[in-house]
Amino acid sequence: MVDDDIPSTVATSEEDLLRVEDLETRFFTEEGQVNAVDGVSFAVRESDVFGIVGESGSGKSVTALSLLDLVESPGRITGGHIWYRNADLAEEHRERTPEAVDGDFVDVLQLSEGQRRALRGPSFSMIFQDAMSAFNPSLTVGEQIAEAVEVQRRAEANPRSVRSKTQGYGLGSYLSGLVLPQRDFVNRQSKLEAIELLEKVGIPDPAERADEYPSQFSGGMLQRAMIAMALAGEPDVLVADEPTTALDVTIQAQILNLLKDLQAETDMSIVLITHNLGVVARMCDRVGVMYAGEIVERGTLEDVFDDPVHPYTQGLLGSVPDLDRPGDRLHPIKGNVPDLIDSHMDDRCYFADRCPKAMERCLDPPGERQVGGEHAARCVLVDGEYDESEALADGYFEGSTAGDAAASEGSTADAAAEEATSDD
Amino acid sequence: MTDHDEPHDDARRTDDTRRTDDTRRTDEPLVSVRGLEKYYYEQDTLIDRLLRNDPVSIKAVDGVDFDVYPGETLGVVGESGCGKSTTAETLMRLREPTGGSVTFDGEEVFEMDGDRLSEFRKRAQVMFQDPFSSLDPRMTAGQIVREPLEIHGVGTREERRERAADLLERVGLSADQTDRYPHEFSGGQRQRIGFARALALEPEFIVLDEPVSALDVSVQAQVLNLLSDMQAEFDLTYLFIAHDLSVVRHICDRVAVMYLGEVVEVGPVDEIFENPDHPYTEALLESVPRADTDERDREVTALRGDVPSPRNPPSGCSFRTRCPKVIPPDEVDLPQKSYTDVTTLRNRIEREGLDLEFVWEFAGDPDREDTAAFKETMREEMFDSFDADFAGEDAAVMDEAFDALAAGEVETAAEILRERYASVCEAVNPELPDSTHPAACHLRDQPADVREAVAAWEADDGAAAGGAVGDGAPAEDAGSSAD
Amino acid sequence: MISDRLKRNLKKEFRNSLLAKVGVFLMLLVVLSATFAPLLAPHNPTQTNPEQAQLPPLGFESERETSEFVDGEVQTVSRSVEGSMEHPMGTDAVGRDMASRILYGARTSLLVGLIGSAVAAITGVTVGLTAGYYGGRIDDGLMRFADVMLAFPSLVLAVALVGLLGPLTVPIPDPFVTAGLADGMPETFVFPVTVTLVVALVNWVWFARIARGEALSLRQEEYVKAARSMGASDGRIILRHVLPNSFTPILVLATIQVAAIILLESALSFLGFSGTNLSWGFDIAQGRNYLATSWWIASIPGLAIVAAVIGINLIGDWLRDALDPGIEGESGGM
Repeated sequence: MVDDDIPSTVATSEEDLLRVEDLETRFFTEEGQVNAVDGVSFAVRESDVFGIVGESGSGKSVTALSLLDLVESPGRITGGHIWYRNADLAEEHRERTPEAVDGDFVDVLQLSEGQRRALRGPSFSMIFQDAMSAFNPSLTVGEQIAEAVEVQRRAEANPRSVRSKTQGYGLGSYLSGLVLPQRDFVNRQSKLEAIELLEKVGIPDPAERADEYPSQFSGGMLQRAMIAMALAGEPDVLVADEPTTALDVTIQAQILNLLKDLQAETDMSIVLITHNLGVVARMCDRVGVMYAGEIVERGTLEDVFDDPVHPYTQGLLGSVPDLDRPGDRLHPIKGNVPDLIDSHMDDRCYFADRCPKAMERCLDPPGERQVGGEHAARCVLVDGEYDESEALADGYFEGSTAGDAAASEGSTADAAAEEATSDD
Repeated sequence: MTDHDEPHDDARRTDDTRRTDDTRRTDEPLVSVRGLEKYYYEQDTLIDRLLRNDPVSIKAVDGVDFDVYPGETLGVVGESGCGKSTTAETLMRLREPTGGSVTFDGEEVFEMDGDRLSEFRKRAQVMFQDPFSSLDPRMTAGQIVREPLEIHGVGTREERRERAADLLERVGLSADQTDRYPHEFSGGQRQRIGFARALALEPEFIVLDEPVSALDVSVQAQVLNLLSDMQAEFDLTYLFIAHDLSVVRHICDRVAVMYLGEVVEVGPVDEIFENPDHPYTEALLESVPRADTDERDREVTALRGDVPSPRNPPSGCSFRTRCPKVIPPDEVDLPQKSYTDVTTLRNRIEREGLDLEFVWEFAGDPDREDTAAFKETMREEMFDSFDADFAGEDAAVMDEAFDALAAGEVETAAEILRERYASVCEAVNPELPDSTHPAACHLRDQPADVREAVAAWEADDGAAAGGAVGDGAPAEDAGSSAD
Repeated sequence: MISDRLKRNLKKEFRNSLLAKVGVFLMLLVVLSATFAPLLAPHNPTQTNPEQAQLPPLGFESERETSEFVDGEVQTVSRSVEGSMEHPMGTDAVGRDMASRILYGARTSLLVGLIGSAVAAITGVTVGLTAGYYGGRIDDGLMRFADVMLAFPSLVLAVALVGLLGPLTVPIPDPFVTAGLADGMPETFVFPVTVTLVVALVNWVWFARIARGEALSLRQEEYVKAARSMGASDGRIILRHVLPNSFTPILVLATIQVAAIILLESALSFLGFSGTNLSWGFDIAQGRNYLATSWWIASIPGLAIVAAVIGINLIGDWLRDALDPGIEGESGGM
């Protein structure tokens, strides 16, 4: 028996660029407190692709937003650390805020609002699922990318401490730009750089396309343009939230190839958020599987895909029909993702109600356990095999969860499936 | 089911009554679609007419043929905008067709009216994609499932109630959930309700329009299992519209692949997935990322570019602008990759508008004087291995074309390139031959009339400049057929 | 059509919003006044009494000039008059009790408002749903007509229509008087039919526009397609699916239209097209000439109109907030 209460620590490595520790993001809604991210820890290595995979409502997108501090009200990051390795930044803050510095690492969450904002662009940058809504429809694509370039250019021209103040990107400079044409915010150099970025992401005739509006772009082209915009600051970490979900497969293949090439070229790290296991397999070196606001299993791609320990990971892999083999019957996970409202969540393994191997031990919240190497899982099965004598009775959780509509789905579905097969 | 004129009987019939209609197990298709067309017109309002704007046709569905046999699941796959959902809705008469015919059990669907149409509406059902918009938010689950029974006046009020409860239970919901509203259910459960509604009239044929694409994978698997179980139990025939190829492979018996409003390949599911005949099908399959640890090292050649706009579809084969296997004319002896580069260049010139200014700027000569630098840039940027592959006649023709481009004579360049490199793929539209696994591609067997057209074009091409069947023609056709 | 969830939302919004409470309070005041006017009114509102003319409301004083015989001569005497409990809101120029007139005026305003809004809603929704659901030529025709209606200023259109239709009123026997509960009150209540029709004709266009917009978007919904695929008739689809799902915005509009119609009715009455002389607008018109000496004759009915209109609009806001689909959606934040 391993002690359940060991704090989840992340094995530190020289190569780590980002270490997320016990990150907690909560939403304070009318329905109650939603624990969207509930003690998430992971590490992203330099020039590595880390995938976070999970179903809708697992908290993976909120994790992505939390990394860039883009969580909006009623949500708030309520705890944890995001250690970011940047020697310059660490040096700068060592004197003023020593508690936020650990070696070359700086805890981004302990920096001031302005300092964190200054990191967006040169350090962290993000691409979203819906490229159409990421662009302002009334400005040309070129203008918007040039503006991103300009912001970075000005930021680099100033020392970091000054940069955090206004970056010359305030309302005042905008208004003076309107009145005085020579004070135009974006200079010609930035416009040319924007065109170069568009070309870099594979947009044909970039000079011409730069003058077009977002609505004149196809979905795939707009996704490329958004990537171009995210690359403007030459970020260390690119957070990609479902970057290909809205796209067709042939376009998805283009974008994934593009991301791979760009990553190889720029050596940036990518945090890839997706629900598509195929995309994870194609892109990622390391993976974290998210469920109900927690990372339930993480490790290298091989660890997680070839030797999954957590029944949720196993279930997820078993739910996907195989393209290269004719279909057997699928093995879905019963039930649905819980709604993450604090008052609805019992203090236990959150997957126990859907788990085919739930035992009495699962009624205590399981801590993260090392499986070996980098492989870790939040499951008692790491400690020992499933023991049928300890199994929870069928229907143990029925009626105990407030989201009963969701909870009952699996059990009745199974009943129906059994009924249907026995009819034959 | 059809021979039951006692409406009360229908409601009371429990689901273990298996259909034993012998005629349904023959090789007669249950649904037969021939030349189905659905065009939309833009700029067709009163004001446009006053301004004499020509209506622009959008060929959402452009001559689709397929059969659905009793008891099978025919998958229709394709990317968004390929017309698969429009095909389904048109064949169900939810949209007015522009042309073509659909027969259901031997009867012409587009000519049905009155009782016959009502009968068709009973025997053929649709299940929709969106778990949120496919159920009326102001009706309870029970009311939703009862609605088709009410419309067709099946059974008494009490019988309808019982049947709805029975159906809901059968798709995996509990009886106490019948009085709940859709928003109280999860996405997967909503799809179950939608499916129960489709089953209510004991149909033979159900169109499943992306029934699982809005669901999470684990829930998707639940619904897929349910669909298979119900098919086995009620002897249903499915038309399964999807864009997810793994799901199609899992659930379908045969597959039709659509691209830009046309079916490009049809065949048994294993043949389609293991031996795809059409380059588009091949590319589609290659594009899907597998959930497998070998996936990272798999080399994926993504298709070039975007799907062309249906407002201005390419002449000939609609896939030719992205096809990696465009057929070169006989006299051209280039590696496929370089020939494909030529076709890409031609598409840029003819269809998309090549930005010459940018090329000049890229060549470092915005004043447009150094033609050599311009040509060098073209060779470097547009081709992978120009110097190695292009020699003799090819090198000369390309040089001539670059000269024309450098001089700003885009039309001339297009003409020069067309003369030498015009492909059969842009001249003649391939069709589906009559076989069990047909593909609409010139690389495969083609029907006699297509072969004749190819022969005619080749003869013509040898003599004249070729490209007579060039672009622009389809748009005009559409304009005239609009009236 | 009113689900439990809706009731919950209504209650929640009501609890959280002071304005909703104010609105409901004002509206209750108007409704109760209108309903029980014969019981509440201290006097017959049509009873003139020159002796008691232009008395100020309770708590106010005013100078009143009267001609009196003083020492055998007719002289104009200025005397100070105080408001009394007998006429808590004073009296008008011919001595009718203002309080009673306000109570009875509420009847006219409310009835014209509710019936007018209902007629406008029924007409407008029918036209709008038809246009939106069928689209095409039908839509073009109906909506161009609606646009033409909208192009006229509503008051001008209303005056023209009143002129065209002529004043028509229907006397409705007052149940309280018939039952002998309120002796001395007017035996019938005069309902201005023309005015009601006219305000409905002027305002149906708004309903048509809203209903059309809803129908246009609802006909794209998959459940409407599903109903069609099952063989449902257009009528059934419109009544069963389209109407109930466009109910919320129509209800909110109908509420707000009651206020707009009350204003329009007052304006028409003010201009002398009322058909009844028990109307707030009519009283304002009457009091207009006495603004210098007896401000209350015009102001009190004005205040009544303001209170009623504010009350209704606040209720409209409350309904809109409670019925807002944003609240109906999934749990927020994710």
